[in-house]
Amino acid sequence: MVDINLAEASVEQILANQRGLIAIGAGLAVGLSGIASALAEKDIGAAAVGAMAEREELFGKGLIMTVIPETIVIFGLVVAILLLFL
Amino acid sequence: MAFLIKRGSKKYPYITARVRAMKSKLMPREVYPKLMNMDIPEITRLMGESEYKQDVDELAQKYSGLDLLEHALNQNLARTYRKLLRISKDEPNYLITEYLRHWDIWNIKTILRGKYYGAPAQEIMDAVVAAGQLGYRQITSIANMESIEDIKSALANSPYYSAIADYEGGELSTIENELDKIYYSRLLASIGKSKGEKLSLKFIMTEIDLKNLKTLFRTKKAGLDKDVILELLIPGGMELKSRDLKKMSSLSWSDFLKRLEDYSYWSAISEVVSEDMTSLMDVEAVLDKYAIEYASKVSHYYPISILPIYDYMLRKNNEINSIRTIVRGKKVNLPDEIIRKHLVM
Repeated sequence: MVDINLAEASVEQILANQRGLIAIGAGLAVGLSGIASALAEKDIGAAAVGAMAEREELFGKGLIMTVIPETIVIFGLVVAILLLFL
Repeated sequence: MAFLIKRGSKKYPYITARVRAMKSKLMPREVYPKLMNMDIPEITRLMGESEYKQDVDELAQKYSGLDLLEHALNQNLARTYRKLLRISKDEPNYLITEYLRHWDIWNIKTILRGKYYGAPAQEIMDAVVAAGQLGYRQITSIANMESIEDIKSALANSPYYSAIADYEGGELSTIENELDKIYYSRLLASIGKSKGEKLSLKFIMTEIDLKNLKTLFRTKKAGLDKDVILELLIPGGMELKSRDLKKMSSLSWSDFLKRLEDYSYWSAISEVVSEDMTSLMDVEAVLDKYAIEYASKVSHYYPISILPIYDYMLRKNNEINSIRTIVRGKKVNLPDEIIRKHLVM
């Protein structure tokens, strides 16, 4: 960790520090939401494969159900993009 | 992270979804009235085009007519149950294994009964369902044994040995009771403390209740002595605890019926139960139906648990029993009305 004394820091240093924090926030937004959707998809995926093993025509439905929690990570991605570029 | 992956639903999503898909392949209710209007060859052909195709095809060289159907049904049931064991892991697998020991008991009973009445091994094998821990080969070799001593020594390492250890031939009812008791006490003892296992426990306790109710109805109707009845009942039920069973076994027929009103099962059986009823067929059909409906109801409460699997096992068994009832009824020319009464739909 770089120790910055705010009273002595220049404006550039402070701005760089803030950009770093924003990047960490963006990383957390994508990373945590990624883990969350993975946890949700784990069971749904297993169930979809189980159902498909018996009835192949359930492939389409199973696929859609499996990717529904994907929205969580997309929200995370959107938040990350907002943080980084706005 | 490991704790997040390890906890949770424990391999249930895969097996429950698969079992649900299997359940959707069971025969729909509309098929049974159609089956009632068919002859046995027609039914066999229909079965040969359905889920039973593989079994009918395999056995068609060896058997024909009623025998073919009978064997195909038994083989299909055993295969379905073994498939459940194959596709499950960990906790569900363990619970299914314990539950399927029911068929071990069934097979041992069948063999002993067959030996008691001097039936040939081939005939005994007709009624065997190799879905438990005893494999088909093992059962065949046991069924081919001549003396009770050989059968006993063949089963010496099984958990059921204590029930048959003292059997010397003759009346089987005590042995059969003992076997049932061993099965249920093992089943109850094997269930641990996880959520899935607790749900399983509730289901099995209800099953014991229903079994006890059937026994109570039969024995009360026959007017048996209190001590004899108590011997026949299985401890460990949900609503009918040992205390209730003790009380009920000493009541008279009419008091017994009145007493039943205190239990939740009454709402299911109240319509068919009356003091002057002569046949218990209706009550037993209603109780079977209650078991199936109960299983289906709780499987919706807890969709990712062992319960949908129990529900499927009950339904599959019921489907096979229904088809067998129809075929057997047709064979002996029973009127449709009576066959319909025996069906649990």
